[in-house]
Amino acid sequence: MTRNIKFVDHIADIAVDLEADSLEELFKAASEAYKISVTDFDCHNLSDFMEIEITGNSKEELLVNFLNEINFFLTTKEWLCCSIESIKIISDENSLELSAELSGVKLNSEIELKQEIKSVTYHQMMIEEKNKFYTTRIVFDI
Amino acid sequence: MNVGGIELLKLRENLWEIPKTGKMNVPGRIYISHRMIEKNLSNDEALKQVANVAQLPGIQRYSLAMPDIHWGYGFPIGGVAATDSDNGVISPGGVGYDINCGVRLATTNLEYNSVQKRIDKLVNKLFSTVPTGVGAKGAIKKLSTTDLKKVLSQGSSWAVEHNLGSAEDVSFTEESGTLKNADPSLVSDRAYERGADQVGTLGSGNHFLEIDVVEEIYDAETAEIFGMFKGQIAVQIHTGSRGLGYQVCDDYLKILLKASNKYAFDLPDKQLACAPIKSQEGQDYLSAMQAAANFAWNNRQVIMHLAKKVFKDTFKQSDSELDFKLVYDVCHNIAKIEKHKVNGNYKEVCVHRKGATRAFPPNSKMIPEKYRTVGQPVLIPGDMGRYSFVAVGTEKAMEETFGSSCHGAGRNLSRKKALKNAKGKNLVEELKQKGIVVQAKGYRTIAEEMPGAYKDVSEVVDVMHNEGITKKVAKLRPIGVIKG
Repeated sequence: MTRNIKFVDHIADIAVDLEADSLEELFKAASEAYKISVTDFDCHNLSDFMEIEITGNSKEELLVNFLNEINFFLTTKEWLCCSIESIKIISDENSLELSAELSGVKLNSEIELKQEIKSVTYHQMMIEEKNKFYTTRIVFDI
Repeated sequence: MNVGGIELLKLRENLWEIPKTGKMNVPGRIYISHRMIEKNLSNDEALKQVANVAQLPGIQRYSLAMPDIHWGYGFPIGGVAATDSDNGVISPGGVGYDINCGVRLATTNLEYNSVQKRIDKLVNKLFSTVPTGVGAKGAIKKLSTTDLKKVLSQGSSWAVEHNLGSAEDVSFTEESGTLKNADPSLVSDRAYERGADQVGTLGSGNHFLEIDVVEEIYDAETAEIFGMFKGQIAVQIHTGSRGLGYQVCDDYLKILLKASNKYAFDLPDKQLACAPIKSQEGQDYLSAMQAAANFAWNNRQVIMHLAKKVFKDTFKQSDSELDFKLVYDVCHNIAKIEKHKVNGNYKEVCVHRKGATRAFPPNSKMIPEKYRTVGQPVLIPGDMGRYSFVAVGTEKAMEETFGSSCHGAGRNLSRKKALKNAKGKNLVEELKQKGIVVQAKGYRTIAEEMPGAYKDVSEVVDVMHNEGITKKVAKLRPIGVIKG
């Protein structure tokens, strides 16, 4: 299981380049990048879990929908997704479906939020597979 | 000249054209100085985005960009595009995530000398009254879905009905603070949930509430009509539709991505997802976007009411003594159906202004009667350490830019670089030495938003002034700022 996260300079927002050895790991890397973008809080002893199911018409749409779901939990339910316990992505000809178990924590006074992410954009996002490695860039609009 | 592979032809001192090539339906036109092109656009995708927007079905005349152009999502920030309302498209990429992000300017009877001594207290009170920062909430009682639906239908008038503003405030707001075809039923439950507790909140990022002093008057007659005088204390509010608007954009981006496939549009960028304006998808987006725009106007109205109350309490003045009144409220992220002259004939078009301000001329029926002899106030905020400008719309804006002008400074440094540059500095103290009191949720925001992180807004304003699109009226200098 390999995943690399590299934040790149962006004039107004947050951009990150991801690399992983499977599509599922790429999505895990994306959720990690999201978490690093919004807080420096060190998650530990997690006991709060949530199951989600997301669909998309392309890998990119699935990733945007997945991250926007996590962002919705934070901005509205005040629940920070700390990690992905399990994740499965299945695809057919027309669409992709993701099911995952997330672990996280309800916002409290110890968690300082650095940024409000308005949304996850499609800007420069292209999930590519080369030599069994998946890569993409994600830009968060803040 | 060639900038990042894009050919630019010089038409006038501050006007450049990207010739129509390939899949472009119209040429691109950018209002900008040579110096700004070299300084700001050499490592930026914004010019490519101007060319991309020119590919939108039904685009009229030009894909335009204002001098504060920088890369955005789909459209560049500072982008303006008018599409034929019968045969053209509407795109959320031409509006942005923060639907009806905008600025309002209010003036008072106070003068600098009387405020200077109490500026710390005033900023502190404003900071504790107007919720700011990530997830800011609770300025007023959390609204029920029924009440929120009324906000989405009524815009600023909702605030007036609830004693959070006056009828006069509404009359000095673009579109009188309400887009009439808003349909709250087309806004998702998620958007309601995101916005329920956010009425009257500033939020984070570049949003602010600023106390300014009118430092310079360029056009005495127009300034007088706008109710402005040198030395006067004014208040600027910059925010938008908060989480509700972001969610509406997200929701409809999904729908319009499907629509783009359905209508077989060959688009260069997913963020330019669009639908024919007259299609069900296009009409639904327009109505939902208008509902979010109404939320934003009401948001700025409530914030202004809260700020006015703080001023009244701090200076122990009555309404008539303080005379805290709205000069104007403009939106700079919006798509609106307007009538414009195209090839010699007036026609209905959908004007997308993404980081661009409407700048209507004298005699326009779309602006308050009081301003019809001079034109619409155009509000162009700068950074928190230098200045902002008030300008006025002209007939030339109608002829050339679908009645549009610039909206701000635009960033010069990434947040990361700004944080690096701020290391070892005490920015709060530095600004205090310049006579500016700043309060924010955290030092990080102040560092990210430091004056050096932004371009000099005067360069942007001067381009539009020199090209005659908008004319400068007054310069404002900040003396107190609250940020998210």
